[in-house]
Amino acid sequence: MINRALFKQSCKANWVKWLSVTVATCAMLAIVIIVLGNLAINDIRDSLKDVFAQADEQSYLKENSVDFYELYLTSTEVSNETLSSTLVVFDQYEMAKQQYEQASGTKPEGEVLTSIQNQVAIAFSSQFAPMLEGTEFTQAQLQMIVTNCLSSYESDKETAKISFQNTIKSILPQIIPNQIAQQAANKALEEGKSEEEIELIKSQTLAISTKAVNSYVSKNYSNADQYSREDFVNDANHYVNSYMYDYIYNMQKSLGAEESVAIQNATAVKVIANTATTTYEFWLNEYKTQEGATEVTDEQKADAKQKACESISDQIPEKVAVALKELGNMDMYSLIIGSIFYKIAGLLLPMVFVIMTANSLIASQVDSGSMAYVLSTPTKRRTVAITQLAYLLLSLFAMFALLTIVSVISVWISGGNSFAINYGEILLLNAGAYLTMFAIAGFCFMCSAIFNRTKYSLSIGGGLTIFALVCTILGLFGSTVVPSAMRISQMNFFNYLSIITLFDVVSILGGTMSYLWKFAILLGIGIITIIIGIFRFDKKDLPL
Amino acid sequence: MSDIIQVEHLTKDYGNGRGIVDISFSVKKGEVFGFVGTNGSGKTTTIRHIMGFLKPEKGKVCLLGLDSWEDSCKIKQFVEYIPGEIAFPDLRTGTEFLKNQAELLSLNDMTYANQLISKLQLDTSANLKRMSKGMKQKTAIVAALMADKEILILDEPTTGLDPLMRETFLEIIKEEKNKGKTILMSSQLFDELEQTCDRVALILNGKIVDIADIHKLKNPTSRMYKIEFKHEKDYLNFKLKKFKIVRDQPQYNQVTVKISLAKLNYLFNILQNYNVKFISEVKQNLEKYFKEVLASQIKLQAKQNKQSIKMLKDNEKIEGGNYDK
Repeated sequence: MINRALFKQSCKANWVKWLSVTVATCAMLAIVIIVLGNLAINDIRDSLKDVFAQADEQSYLKENSVDFYELYLTSTEVSNETLSSTLVVFDQYEMAKQQYEQASGTKPEGEVLTSIQNQVAIAFSSQFAPMLEGTEFTQAQLQMIVTNCLSSYESDKETAKISFQNTIKSILPQIIPNQIAQQAANKALEEGKSEEEIELIKSQTLAISTKAVNSYVSKNYSNADQYSREDFVNDANHYVNSYMYDYIYNMQKSLGAEESVAIQNATAVKVIANTATTTYEFWLNEYKTQEGATEVTDEQKADAKQKACESISDQIPEKVAVALKELGNMDMYSLIIGSIFYKIAGLLLPMVFVIMTANSLIASQVDSGSMAYVLSTPTKRRTVAITQLAYLLLSLFAMFALLTIVSVISVWISGGNSFAINYGEILLLNAGAYLTMFAIAGFCFMCSAIFNRTKYSLSIGGGLTIFALVCTILGLFGSTVVPSAMRISQMNFFNYLSIITLFDVVSILGGTMSYLWKFAILLGIGIITIIIGIFRFDKKDLPL
Repeated sequence: MSDIIQVEHLTKDYGNGRGIVDISFSVKKGEVFGFVGTNGSGKTTTIRHIMGFLKPEKGKVCLLGLDSWEDSCKIKQFVEYIPGEIAFPDLRTGTEFLKNQAELLSLNDMTYANQLISKLQLDTSANLKRMSKGMKQKTAIVAALMADKEILILDEPTTGLDPLMRETFLEIIKEEKNKGKTILMSSQLFDELEQTCDRVALILNGKIVDIADIHKLKNPTSRMYKIEFKHEKDYLNFKLKKFKIVRDQPQYNQVTVKISLAKLNYLFNILQNYNVKFISEVKQNLEKYFKEVLASQIKLQAKQNKQSIKMLKDNEKIEGGNYDK
């Protein structure tokens, strides 16, 4: 099958080419892996990643701040509403008395009056019962307060009202925060949050709300109508800021941070929280003055919150944000080693070797006539073709074996499996590159075997091979490995024109299996072209 | 098996009038057969068929009874070949090339190769690429002849060689012939074929026009003499003597006569009575012979052309006549 003398002749004729291409390609590969590995080319990527992570974190902190701020103000509002709603008890009492008077024709007095007072107290306290759930305060206690208040009401109406209000105010801190915390917990449960999270939300809400209700109580309004949200804005802002400060400070301390670091971070967060709540309030006021309304709708609140919590990625245009994020996620090593070295730069020299060698092994010898010396000896044409093919494939194999060794050593120097590309991946990349070159070698061999003229063999075999490489270069700008900022998706068309596309570097480095069937196609192309080449050379006319 | 090389009705059409048409000949054992013809006449194409490099379109070529296309590998055991174009494999020195060639031929005994090298005074250590044409040709000769096989095929082996080198080369061919090898060679030069060959075929436009037997050419049964007379009277009288006059030049009083060997004495007897200025033998050679053949061919063609032109003219007349009416 293989003629030793001819094989030796081919070795002698082509070893200089082989050696120079192999050395140059190995050197290129070693430089790409080792030098780039030590340059930390992923620094920019990492800092970009940090920027976005920080932005997301800040956004999260801001959202929390605004939520807490809103919670504080809502708590004061709810306190005020609750207080004003309790005063209804006196109206109910007056109505009950009138009803009795209309029914009996006499004013209620003595025991009758007491029983009316009791009835109203029972009705009111049972109405209030749900709010008392989970507090130390009982329905009976409330009932007693109301009964006492109503009896003193008969003697001095105004004093009784004030003293009732004061009594209710004193129990508000026990009722309202509990109620609001329960609501928040229920909402979190609906959102499917974990038990721990719910517990945290509940305790946070309780703390903030308690503070707010106490603040409300200390304001000491003589009338519920006196309530104004603006009265509590500064209070809320101040409280949320210090709450965030404490929260972060404690968290940092518990994580073992130094005092100064904890203070620094907590202060930074305090500033962020302040910015968020101030911006939020600013936007709420904007909406109010715009609309001329006293009330702000929930939608407007959500809008204001979003504006207050904007991060960097929200502030820049969406396309730029996506592009920057993608840039942050891009792996420079995979791009340079996989898509640029193994698919383009590293293939160029072996391609030149294959184009020149395949041509010089058959077509050039037929063209010059030197093949006559081989074929005038008892050597079969098929033996000649197979021997020359064996030289081409074995020299290529030796080249890629060396390349594999160099690449594995380079990866080892760059940090082994902790490097961006691990041993398994680098072996697969080498195997893929050899298979690609196998298919190209098969094609160039076929051209060399079919054509009697060097010019045709070179222009068809070499021309199409270089065409495929150029298409891969152009197609790179349309492929997904390039960040979208630099990508022109129409350029991806070129990838469909190139055989090198079957060497699926993205699949190899991405850990998917789709590269396997593409490898099979490359193998198939190589085998088919080789068979066509051998049979054609066996049967064609030779001008020798 | 006396016919070593047999070519039967070999045809290969490359289009545009190129190629070979219905070539048949055979070469006997120990015979040297020559091919002569102009460039592109089909010599090389025929030789490539014999070597099994080209597949015949029609007809076939047999060497020692083996089909040279089907058994192209087997026949190489008996054939040595010097190609027309000298292009060596991409190796460094002549020695390297010859060693490699010996390996391809499975040849272990290099004594004959060394004999040839010393006879040709060849420096095989020279760089193959920088060799002169003569050195390359010498190297090619050694590479072909070293296996000492029974058939030798050479395609225009002397083109580009200086006259001295050519003489050496022809010596070698003669030696090979004396060994009993069957040789087939092509050339554009008549004299070297005349020196070496037993028979020579003339190829013109892909066809064998004539095959000349060199022995017959060299030992003719009749000879030609050119005679010039001093006086016109003698010249005119001689013409009455019924000799076969091939060429007549009255302005010089010259005649060229063709005469059989037996009648030679008779001629000289007659000439004693005339005042002869000079007499010289006109020697026949291959070149002249083929020129005559070619001339007759051309005449024949011209005749055919004339006929066809005449026919064309006749047709035009008829058509023209029709037009007039």
